[in-house]
Amino acid sequence: MAATGEEAAAMDSISKAPIPPSALNIKTDPDSRLENTSVEGVTESQPPVSKKGSNNNDGSVETAEEAVEPAEPDIDELCKDMFDKMAVFLQGELTATCEDYKLLENMNKLTSLKYMEMKDISINISRNLQDLNQKYASLQPYLDQINQIEEQVTALEQAAYKMDTYSKKLEAKFKKLEKR
Amino acid sequence: MASSDSQPRFGQSVKGLLSDKVGSCSGDVIALTRQVLKGSRSQELLSQAARNMVIQEDAILHSEDSLRKMSIITTHLQYQQEAIQKNVENSRNLQDQLKHLLK
Repeated sequence: MAATGEEAAAMDSISKAPIPPSALNIKTDPDSRLENTSVEGVTESQPPVSKKGSNNNDGSVETAEEAVEPAEPDIDELCKDMFDKMAVFLQGELTATCEDYKLLENMNKLTSLKYMEMKDISINISRNLQDLNQKYASLQPYLDQINQIEEQVTALEQAAYKMDTYSKKLEAKFKKLEKR
Repeated sequence: MASSDSQPRFGQSVKGLLSDKVGSCSGDVIALTRQVLKGSRSQELLSQAARNMVIQEDAILHSEDSLRKMSIITTHLQYQQEAIQKNVENSRNLQDQLKHLLK
């Protein structure tokens, strides 16, 4: 109840006067000045009089002092855990894109291997066809001879038909003469 | 990317505010990472590239089949050419015989 009244008073005072946006204000007391000049990783050489951060109500805004003693071990553990998990999460987010790139890289490698095989096959085919063309060119005189042979055979066939016709005529004449 | 609780919340303890701030900072880091990944459009471009590659694969396989068939046909042609070469050597004798016949 008292806290509510204090909070209402704090709200009223805040609405009337401008205050720094952060509620965590470092006090400018001599004690805190001594604390403020210390480094973040405070060693144990600090005088034991320094106090841990505590919540103070100075009537208008709740403030806290900077912690100068090492944090409790469980807080350290929790912070480490939190940062480790954040790192794992971010790593996972980035790994997805990396895996996509790796997939494309593998696909490209396989495709390039395939194209190399096709290139070898094409080179073989080209070489074989060139040899074949040369051999067919060397066969050309023989093919001309075959054409001549074909013409001669046609002529022979015609001659054979003529001879056949003539021999039939001759036979018919001979039979006629024999009947007389 | 701005945290949703940028307004100072009154009536909350320092510990609560601290934990909220830590939470909002981690949320901002995560949102930043996601925005960087989203802005680079790497996911869309890479998946599109993979899709195009898959479409092309069919054509590549077909081309490879055709080339292998061509190489087989070329080999057959070579065999035929060797058989023709062997047989046309007899045509010279044949031609001489026909010349004699037709004289």
